This record gives sequence, C-alpha cells and structure tokens, in this order.
Amino acid sequence: MPEIELLRAKSVDDAVALLARHDGSRCIAGGQTMVAMLNAGLVDASALIAISGIDELATLTRTSDGATRIGAGVSHRVVASSDKFIGANNVVRQAAQVIAHPAIRNFGTIGGALAHADPASDYPTAVIAANAKIEVAGRSGRRSIAAQDFFLDYLTTALKPGEMITAVELPAAASGSAGHYLKFSRVDGDYAIVSVGVTITVAAGRCSAARVVLGGCGPTPVFDPDADRDLVGGTCEPAQIRAAAQRLAGRADPIDDVRGSAGYRRALIPKLVERAVRTAWLQASGASR
Amino acid sequence: MTALTVNGQAHRIRIAGTETLLDVLREQLGLTGAKRGCNQGVCGSCTVLINGMAARACLCLAGLMGDAAVTTVEGLGGDGKLSPVQQAFVDTGAIQCGFCMPGMVVAATALLAENPQPSDDQIREGLSGNLCRCSGYVKAIEAVRKAAGAAGATR
Repeated sequence: MPEIELLRAKSVDDAVALLARHDGSRCIAGGQTMVAMLNAGLVDASALIAISGIDELATLTRTSDGATRIGAGVSHRVVASSDKFIGANNVVRQAAQVIAHPAIRNFGTIGGALAHADPASDYPTAVIAANAKIEVAGRSGRRSIAAQDFFLDYLTTALKPGEMITAVELPAAASGSAGHYLKFSRVDGDYAIVSVGVTITVAAGRCSAARVVLGGCGPTPVFDPDADRDLVGGTCEPAQIRAAAQRLAGRADPIDDVRGSAGYRRALIPKLVERAVRTAWLQASGASR
Repeated sequence: MTALTVNGQAHRIRIAGTETLLDVLREQLGLTGAKRGCNQGVCGSCTVLINGMAARACLCLAGLMGDAAVTTVEGLGGDGKLSPVQQAFVDTGAIQCGFCMPGMVVAATALLAENPQPSDDQIREGLSGNLCRCSGYVKAIEAVRKAAGAAGATR
C-alpha cells in the first residue's frame, strides 16, 4: 500500500481547502477509529488531514437558552464529564460515558464517531434522540443536517466528498425534559448489542414530547415518529411503552454477529425500551415539578 | 525530522506518514514495554500515557504527537526504582505470562492519578480495556487496590 501523506490543518477553512486539493483525502482527529482501520489495511486514502490542532473544533459551549454546541474535535472524555448538558440533552453526555474504554475516550472525538457511522456505536443513536443538528463545512460553506437524516447506511453518512463535520448542535432542552441512554453489552466497553436513546418532556404531569431511538438494530439507528407519538399524551404507562416498542421492533433489522443473534436482539428491544423510557419518564417527571 | 518527547527525553526521529506511536516506540526507540497485541485498540497492551492520560499507542500517529509528553512503562519508575503501581503488581504476584502487564500497569497509573481511592468497581472499569488472555484479573485488581493503599477497603 503506498504511503499515506499526513497533513496538518490550522483552521476549518484550511482543512476544507486541503480536502479539495487532495483527491481521496480524509480527515483524522483523535484517530481512535481511523488508525484502527489504517492498521487493518482498510483505509484507501491519498492523504490524511489532521484536524486535531484546530481550536474551533475543540470548544464545547452552552448558550443562555440551554442549547449546547459540541465542536467536532471534542473528546468523549470531555463530553462525559461536562456540566453543559441539561435536561433531554443528557442523553448525549450519558452515551459518551459508555463509549469503549477510558484510553479511547481520552482521544476519540464526537465528529470522528459520527462520521464513522457505526450503527452499534453510541453517539449516532444519542444525537438522534436529542434532535441534534450536525454542522458540516465544505467548499460551498457550512450547512446543517438533522441528525435523523445524517446516517444513510452502514458506515455511510450524508457527508459529501470534501465535507467535514464541524460541530453537533443540541437544541435548547425543554424545561421538564430528561434524556437517558441505555446500553446493553455483555462486556464493559464493548459495542452495544442493543442500545436505546430516549428523550422525554413532561408538561402538567403528561408526556408532551418523546423520542426513542435504537442502536445496534440495523444499518442505521432505528426510530419511528409513530412510536414517539405512542408515548405522548399519557404517563408512559406499560401499554404505551409496549406499543412504541412493538413499532420499533417492526422497523428493526438486526444482524447475527459474535455479540448476539438477530433474534436475541429482537427479544431485547421491548425490555430495554421499557427500562429506558421509564427511567427518562421518572427523571422528567421529577424535573417538571 | 520530527521531535518526540518520551520519558522526559527529547528525540529527533524520522517518521513515515502514518506510522503509529507504538511502532516508533518499539522499532526506533527500542522501548519494547508497550506491546503490539491486537493493533486495533482493543487489547490495551500498548497503553502509554500522553500528557498523563492513558492512550492506545497503536491508535496514535507518531507524527501528530507535537510537543506532547509520552510516558511508557519504562518511564514510570526512576533511578532503577519501581513506581508504586509496579511494586504493587510485583508484591501481589499479579503476573502470569506478562504480555498484558505493561498496559495494565500504565492504565492503573492513569486511573490512580485521576482517582487515588477507587472502589473495586472503579478499578474494574479502569482496567476493563486491558485484556489478559491468561485471565489473571483478580490479582491485578488486588494490586491496584494495594497501590491505592486501599487494601482494607473491600467494598
């Protein structure tokens, strides 16, 4: 395999220019996925553009209205321990806490994890549950893509050639909202067998908004607006949760792999959805009082 | 030539485009403490410290280290003395074939720097990214507990 050139970008504009100039180049941030793939001989790139030195990408900020902006280069470690996530947006913080192992969380970044788009990884599920927008930069400037439209297929995103992720924007969380990320795996730090990301908003004792997303259950995270609607209007009682879980299970298309069979994954869905929704509901109910 | 600081010593070396930190440590600097197990970031046997934080040397590009301080297992002690974590692993006999031990010792060092009095669960989580194919985890956990001076605090 020919040697891959390593180039350093000083700014987002610089990185976009380098991506345009080097046909077949890719970005590298923390390297926790990219270098593993390089070591496995799976990266076909002419050059890697290092974006780890770009200050803008390393910032994590919360605006006064409660929205949170996570620079693409922010590590899982920083997200996991940040106090800048409130209400429903905690689903993203909780996901960061269970990504792989401490050494990986020290260097892996949210932009890298989302661009990789592994459906069994934690961030894709969580950012959809949080109704996030993913900001990307390319030669024609910046644009935002709703997280739910970002994942197109296994390891495939809506990023166009020459584009890079610059930030993840979480909308201001409603008062009385809570988020919960539940990951089921046999071994600590492994990929999820099945994971569930939930956000719930409670108003006047009733669920006024909900979002439930499954990870590890198909080529992209699984969600269904009808399942979300099943939960709205009540107190997240068992029948409502069962209805939502059944809809999601119907959309799930899990695979057999070393971690579990497709049938096992399907069997897990109702129980895990129930646990995750109940946890988020109780937190949101507490927060809305 | 690129500058790389390892165990407090500044080196100037030639690094190929996407050469990993692990390969440079082992093959250019002769520091073979960090092991090449899976080369995928899964096994943890290549764990080193970068600016005090645990890192997978196999997942870091040597050319991106900049002025970061890299510490390998060889740099934990000093003046021919073992570090407290190394000594605790020796005293506990937390060693079977030994291949995973440098990674475990470095990961435990990072854990204790951040959390000097970890619970057993926190120790297990801290070492969860370090696989021992001999399955010798019990003694390793005991060693970390001992290094933390928390031998009596069995929670």
